[in-house]
Amino acid sequence: MRCLVTGVAGFIGSHLAQRLLEQGHEVVGVDCFTRAYDLALKQANVGQLRENDKFRFVRGDLAEMDLHSLLEGVEVVFHMAAQAGVRSSWGKEFQLYLHHNVFSTQRLLEACREMRPRRLVYASSSSVYGDQSHYPSSEEVVPRPISPYGVTKLAAEHLCVLYWKSYQVPSVSLRYFTVYGPRQRPDMAFHRFLKAIWSKTALTIYGDGSQSRDFTYVSDIVDANLRAVEAGQPGKVYNIGGGARATLREVLCILEEVTGNAPLVSWEKPELGDVRHTMADLGLAKQELGYRPKVGLREGLARQWAWMCDWLEKESGLQVRGNVP
Amino acid sequence: MALPKDLLDILACPKCVREPGCTGELEYRESANQLVCHHCKLVYRIEEDIPVMLIDEATPLEE
Repeated sequence: MRCLVTGVAGFIGSHLAQRLLEQGHEVVGVDCFTRAYDLALKQANVGQLRENDKFRFVRGDLAEMDLHSLLEGVEVVFHMAAQAGVRSSWGKEFQLYLHHNVFSTQRLLEACREMRPRRLVYASSSSVYGDQSHYPSSEEVVPRPISPYGVTKLAAEHLCVLYWKSYQVPSVSLRYFTVYGPRQRPDMAFHRFLKAIWSKTALTIYGDGSQSRDFTYVSDIVDANLRAVEAGQPGKVYNIGGGARATLREVLCILEEVTGNAPLVSWEKPELGDVRHTMADLGLAKQELGYRPKVGLREGLARQWAWMCDWLEKESGLQVRGNVP
Repeated sequence: MALPKDLLDILACPKCVREPGCTGELEYRESANQLVCHHCKLVYRIEEDIPVMLIDEATPLEE
């Protein structure tokens, strides 16, 4: 089948496109290469895909491009593109979040209304929940995002549901819970932590380390996307989590085991917009998508560490094998 | 390397494609690595075989 992957040069988009190509599908990828983070990483992400002759890539802005021609012959749209990052969504940069997260999604839905792909899978986020009184969070609870980023992800999710109800655009929304793994964005916690360990500098933890996350390995996210195509019910929302949560203090212990180096830690005050805990109720995803997370935190971090060492070696030109020099 | 035809077929000028009566048609200048919109007088570059269809990165067409 022919698929459109938006945000294809990004962390999750590139993994998803890679799996689709491995399965023999045609992939049209779009990315505007926002300056949110290292262009070299995005270029590397897409560079691997371009070796496949079933991959077509366009640099473009979903808020501007002709999406109708882009959707020609496309059966499934995987909408991974977004302006990501909780902390940067305050202040003047919010305009970017509206542009890339809300307006672009609305344009894509409008185009899907006419071009009729058989499925649109939207990458939503656990950030829509905010701080809840009970865990795990099920899809039925009232979402109360505490960051402008979370507000925009929820707004786009609501648009997906609305376009199903009003125009039968067959959208399925997946709420990703803190995704990690090779190619993770540089602003995300594990990437920062592992880079700090590699470079023998202190990693920063905002808060006292008792905050927790339901960390989800990227290949499990890819699995969920593929399941959503065939088994996801249009108009519905599904939590996609890693199956267990860990506090940041627990993560520090695992990082020491995986890297062979005790992290140096700098403790800072919590940042506005960071939720205290996340934990996904996976009942609906298990029942309707057949989703089961497969990669545990220790194994996932080991894989990310291996990728980080390679990536940072290439960036710096140093030769590192295993432990930090 | 020439852009594949199936990719060229899905590209259109983002500036004018939704204007009434306009198709956003682009001229492909293979040797110059460019896609040209004669309606808008804009040139979109092709960088390492990647079409860059961003309006703010397009340059005026010099005729």
